[in-house]
Amino acid sequence: METWIQLGRGPLFQLACALLVLGLLRIVVLALVELVEAYRRSSGRGVNWREIAGETLGWLVPVGRLWRQRPLYSTVSVLFHVGLFVVPIFLAAHVLLWKRVLAVAWPALPQTVANVLTLVVIVAGLALFVSRVASASGRKLSRAQDYAWPLLLIVPFLTGYVCANLALGAQTYEAFMLVHVYTVDLILVLIPFSQIAHCVLAPFSQVVSAIAWKFPPGAGDRIAETLGQGESSLPPLRSGAEPVSVRKKVHAQ
Amino acid sequence: MDPLKLEQRSKVPTGQEVLETGQRPHLPLGFGLQEGAMENRPRRFLQAFAAILKHSNYRLALEQYMRVNARCGRCNVKCQIFQATGEACDLPCHRSELLLSVYRRHFTVSGVLRGRLLGDPGLQDDTIDKMAEAYYTCTLCRRCQLECPMGIDHGLITHLGRYILSEIGIVPRVSAAQTPEPSPDSTGGAEANPVPALLDNLPLLREEIKNATGVDVEFPVDRTGAEYLFFPDLSDDLEADTLMGSAAVFRATGDTWTLGAGFYDGLHYGLFYSDQILEHALQRMRGEADRLQVKTIVIGESGYAARSAKSFYPGCAGEGPAQPVVSLVEYTHRAWKSGRLKLRANAISERVTYHDPCNFARDGWIVEEPRELLQAICSDYVEMTPNRRDNFCCGGGGGTVSIGELRSYRTSVGGKAKAGQIRATGAKYCVAPCANCKKQLRELMEDQGIDCQIVGLHDLLYKAIVFE
Repeated sequence: METWIQLGRGPLFQLACALLVLGLLRIVVLALVELVEAYRRSSGRGVNWREIAGETLGWLVPVGRLWRQRPLYSTVSVLFHVGLFVVPIFLAAHVLLWKRVLAVAWPALPQTVANVLTLVVIVAGLALFVSRVASASGRKLSRAQDYAWPLLLIVPFLTGYVCANLALGAQTYEAFMLVHVYTVDLILVLIPFSQIAHCVLAPFSQVVSAIAWKFPPGAGDRIAETLGQGESSLPPLRSGAEPVSVRKKVHAQ
Repeated sequence: MDPLKLEQRSKVPTGQEVLETGQRPHLPLGFGLQEGAMENRPRRFLQAFAAILKHSNYRLALEQYMRVNARCGRCNVKCQIFQATGEACDLPCHRSELLLSVYRRHFTVSGVLRGRLLGDPGLQDDTIDKMAEAYYTCTLCRRCQLECPMGIDHGLITHLGRYILSEIGIVPRVSAAQTPEPSPDSTGGAEANPVPALLDNLPLLREEIKNATGVDVEFPVDRTGAEYLFFPDLSDDLEADTLMGSAAVFRATGDTWTLGAGFYDGLHYGLFYSDQILEHALQRMRGEADRLQVKTIVIGESGYAARSAKSFYPGCAGEGPAQPVVSLVEYTHRAWKSGRLKLRANAISERVTYHDPCNFARDGWIVEEPRELLQAICSDYVEMTPNRRDNFCCGGGGGTVSIGELRSYRTSVGGKAKAGQIRATGAKYCVAPCANCKKQLRELMEDQGIDCQIVGLHDLLYKAIVFE
């Protein structure tokens, strides 16, 4: 088992990190290329950069604005995010690991603080999962990955906490460590391909929305032309057309 | 499932039914289907979607929203439609997902591969039905965007959804009926007020002002070389009081201005559902501004016309530097601030409140200006809550105010929050500087039995202007 742990913590971890970085780089570069292209196409006139910068910064440091609505949910969510970022990077044992991989070291968190943050992540992750399951609108919105992610994310925290704080037999310790190491590797690889990509993409949203609202000149006509509709995309109504209504399936049941 | 069931319009729900049960019967929304609109809809929808993606900037937003969407559901506290119905299908995130899932399935490599592997047949008629309803349930108020930590603009998705639907011939009846290429004497405006009707009315308005104030206020038409070209706000009627107030402000400041007899109505259905219509309307606006050699375009009290001109005129109106665009509210405020417009304090003694049109306030564009003007002339000005950027939509935004069949829905579900807000102020006048909002709010006051008069900003300013 020791060999497997070493494999997961060594070469596989490095591979996972490489895939994570490359995967995130890919989506960021693609987003930037598309953004520049869209800006160029739209001639970029009338973009309110100040507003965009303000909103972007505002959501990066959401102090104040998050608590305007659903304060409990917001608090739990923020604690969850803080723990997710801080513990993997600043836990003492991880600092050593990072030093081995990156050859760079930084100050570590006191163990007690790391322990508390770990528990916070576990509790917050479970709370987020439960709130999603418990609310009708949450269930309506959620895909499988929305349920799976909070649970998957707390596995390394749970196993890491157990390994660091409980006196375990060698075999049990290794079993926990094995799960710890491999779930981390899995998470790192999955991030670029899932909604967790928001960890790097979220700051682009405001500028993306603003540029997407800038319609490229002539686009409407070109679209109509592509669709073979010529000058006007809206031919006159069929004579004597009767109104029809759309039945809402949810009410029809 | 059957495509857009061709059943006759269902019974229009009364407001009471809706409010008490918390259930929203399906929208009594009539679609003016164009020739062939019901045939091969999924295939034509995807073709239209592909063409739009090819020539526009929407792919940028779809890619971003698809990747960052965390489904946290924060938007639900902001959506007044969801708050009124409690129906999961009215969640902004869910509404957007209808289109995002089509994009993911048909326009991304992973979606296409997964579809093949799992044997997913892809877009079906029933999803198109759902989109047709969902994207006209949304009033495009964009209030949900304020609370989205991921910055998703559901209003943009609604706009895109409507655009694709319109390209395959699915458009609410009223909008389609009023947007074809205009006849020679039509303005092409959303409410299709013909030019002769306007011209006939102007002398009457002039006389009325003279009788009331003793001042001769001109309504210049086609004056070449004027400083400002003015596009008045119009709804079903000529908003006579607002138009008189607007002209009176120009008279008081002494700036030269003109109406254009070629094209005078800034309202159109472009921003609601078609980028092509939007662009054509802006080009006609540009043509008029060039023909009359004006320096600046002023858009009257219409949030919709003002935002579509302010945001899109610079980029979409044609080659070369375009004339700057200002809203009449901004113009009046500047004139008052600089001392060129004198207003009488306490000219209005009744209680007055102010409704922020979404297209003015949501992006923080025009928020304090009308308030300062109202506070200068009213002795009893009160705010409704929430207000400014966080205001509730009138309930008839996004062009839905023009869909007559939706009145009962608009004044019960859509406008429920707004009605409560206005009632709570106890105001005699509610000022709404937007033709769209005014029409909806008047119907709302009537149907909800609230004793409050809906007026434009310049209707009240007119009573307070000091002519020198």
